Amino acid sequence: MEFKKILFPTKFRELAFNSLESILELKKAGLKEVVLTYIIPRDEVAFVPYGGYMKDEEERLREQARIRFENWQEAISAEGIESKIRIEVGNPVPKLLRIAEEEKVDLIIAGRKKRTVLGKVYVGSHTLELIRRSTVPVLVSKYMVRFEWEGDLITRVNDRLFTAPLLATDWSEPSEKALGLVSSFKELADKVMVTHIIGVKISKGLDKSELNRIEKESKERLEEYCDRLKKDGINAEPHLFSGRSAHEIVRVAREHKASMIVMGTTGKDRFKEFWLGSVSHRVTESSELPVLLVP
Amino acid sequence: MRLGKWIAIIFLLGIFAFLVPAIASDHGVAATHDTEHGSTHGAEHAVAETGHGDAGHGGHVNLGEVLKLWSCIPFACMLLSIALFPLLAPKFWHHHFGKVSAFWAACLGIPFLIAYKSTAVHEILHIILADYVPFIILLWALYTISGGILLKGTLRGTPIVNTIMILIGTVLASWMGTTGAAMLLIRPFLKANSYRKNRTFMVVFFIFLVANIGGSLTPLGDPPLFLGFLHGVSFFWTMKIMPHMLVTAGILLAIYFVLDTYHYKKEGLTAAPVEEGEKEPLKLVGTHNFIFLGGVVASVLISGIVDWGEINTLGIHRAVQDWARDGFLILMGILSLVTTSKRIHEDNDFSWFPIVEVAYLFIGIFITMVPCLLILKAGLKGEMAFLIAAVKEPMHYFWVTGTLSGFLDNAPTYLTFFNTALGAFYPGMPEAQAVPLLMTESSIFLKAISAGAVFFGSFSYIGNAPNFMVRSIAEEGGTPMPSFFGYILKYSLVFLFPTFVVVTLIFF
Repeated sequence: MEFKKILFPTKFRELAFNSLESILELKKAGLKEVVLTYIIPRDEVAFVPYGGYMKDEEERLREQARIRFENWQEAISAEGIESKIRIEVGNPVPKLLRIAEEEKVDLIIAGRKKRTVLGKVYVGSHTLELIRRSTVPVLVSKYMVRFEWEGDLITRVNDRLFTAPLLATDWSEPSEKALGLVSSFKELADKVMVTHIIGVKISKGLDKSELNRIEKESKERLEEYCDRLKKDGINAEPHLFSGRSAHEIVRVAREHKASMIVMGTTGKDRFKEFWLGSVSHRVTESSELPVLLVP
Repeated sequence: MRLGKWIAIIFLLGIFAFLVPAIASDHGVAATHDTEHGSTHGAEHAVAETGHGDAGHGGHVNLGEVLKLWSCIPFACMLLSIALFPLLAPKFWHHHFGKVSAFWAACLGIPFLIAYKSTAVHEILHIILADYVPFIILLWALYTISGGILLKGTLRGTPIVNTIMILIGTVLASWMGTTGAAMLLIRPFLKANSYRKNRTFMVVFFIFLVANIGGSLTPLGDPPLFLGFLHGVSFFWTMKIMPHMLVTAGILLAIYFVLDTYHYKKEGLTAAPVEEGEKEPLKLVGTHNFIFLGGVVASVLISGIVDWGEINTLGIHRAVQDWARDGFLILMGILSLVTTSKRIHEDNDFSWFPIVEVAYLFIGIFITMVPCLLILKAGLKGEMAFLIAAVKEPMHYFWVTGTLSGFLDNAPTYLTFFNTALGAFYPGMPEAQAVPLLMTESSIFLKAISAGAVFFGSFSYIGNAPNFMVRSIAEEGGTPMPSFFGYILKYSLVFLFPTFVVVTLIFF
């Protein structure tokens, strides 16, 4: 599986272009075309109370976006990648999902939240909804983030996303797909950290022998994943930990200097996910690293 | 601080400086008046303070007798803001309409509270709890439920198909609200006619009939009629407007059919079927929402029939069945949201924004209109005696209510002339007694007010809330719509005005 065509939606926030530039590295992994997308939120131009629709304002926003995109297209073209522009009016998330379907893209890029509470949440409700509903992988790029670590305030620039991805697996089908995607990073990644966390829920109440069995089995599976990557020419190393899954993934990625986190999303148990959030969503929200989610 | 903010502050202070003494001086008159009519007003004032305002309709009379016309300035400004801002400063208005509404509400509310204290609190709370809250809840419920119904499929907009679609919308409007019917049908209507060159007149007639005139048969149809229902007009009384509605809708539909046929032939089109590849069978999805719509109809109907006593809320007495109805409407809306697939809402381009706009604007309208209503209720003893004296005949009520409804929102205009009629025919009489008399012995006047408010709501884009929603959706979809004045000059004056003359000649 390759990322041949990607959807790059933007609200033209600061560093959006830098974020795009960092993604263009994917050319080495087969990227052929970028669909630059700007959704004018319908409420910005429509339903003026007792007034109707601001066609002029829509035209202005379209023109503004088109000029910016044309500038970006030059940079994309310089990398030998094709691009196209789509500027539409609508509700952002459904509109993006529809465009992704129409364009048959392999990946959607999502930005981080505009303002973040320090060290807390990096993604907003729109991105979370996009992640929940997308049938194609979503990369939450987080080009520049600030976070607190051991009392220090750190600013991190995530401009080399694919050098050291951490693949967090729970052995599910989406995790398998994620493994397939990581295989396409051969020309980009120095190494891949294949990680599995034995969650608290699994280990709780088990006797030592049972735990040892799970640990042994997990190690074997990790080795198997690594072997598959090595066969594809990618350096891979296994990491096994236990604890609270989301928390551990974020910690391990930070401590082992991962450049991004790659995870599968099952989308199972929507009720539970709504109230508690899935592991992948919690990692996306709380990690300062870009997160690639594979449905 | 930017210059604009300074100007706004100076303007605000100027308004207060102007209104506080004006209203306070009215208060002085009220004190004199208290002495003159000590027993009555004293009793009524006590009624107001203890929260029996409704029971003692006359309790508001004294305030209405002493309030000056000055006190109606914020109401006039609020309505003028709605009329002028979208024309003159649409971008500012789009982003700051809530602040404008709050500003005018404060301009009335603060001096009014300073001058009349607990009586003013009672009056404002009364209009919020008894009028605004149920009004917004009904609109919200109808908007939410109808947003969950979607007409899918391929339709080819021939003159017959278009006329049938508008006819269906006209019939539905009285049962799912003009907003609901318009939102249900406008997108399929536009899609069916996307191949047509001249679509503007189609959308205008859609506004005339589906977004306005069709809603004249029940209190659910159009907001003015629901306000009448809240003030005691029975649910089925509104059916008495059916002859007026049939004549109006019949004339307009006939004109529409002729126009559409003319343009259809002019465009050189034929009723050839759509190519097989594009064809999608017609399908109504989210139909379970009709159950919730039935629940809305039933709850409004029942609340007008049963009597479960009263309940005191913040000093305002409201019927238990009214609270129960409001609660049930909220439940219907929530059930619709929970049970309707997200995809249907998305395909409908459903957004909360229009209903939030209406909620923000109408809180301003309702608060600022308090003095106006009180003065009108005072009849010939109030400062608007000239209006009451001038508006005498049913045709006066039809045309004056109508003309103002066309250029201001029709809901507050209806309430204004409803109170004018009460003040003219039954001054000082409690509303509970006066309204049944208005419905029976003076029913032609109530018909004139109701028909005027609903029919003329289509006269301009600002006459009724769904008009601007339909316009917005049409323009977004690429159908050019006439300007504010273009709409009136090219369509309202040409088609509506003569139709309303015919209605006047036949009925008033």
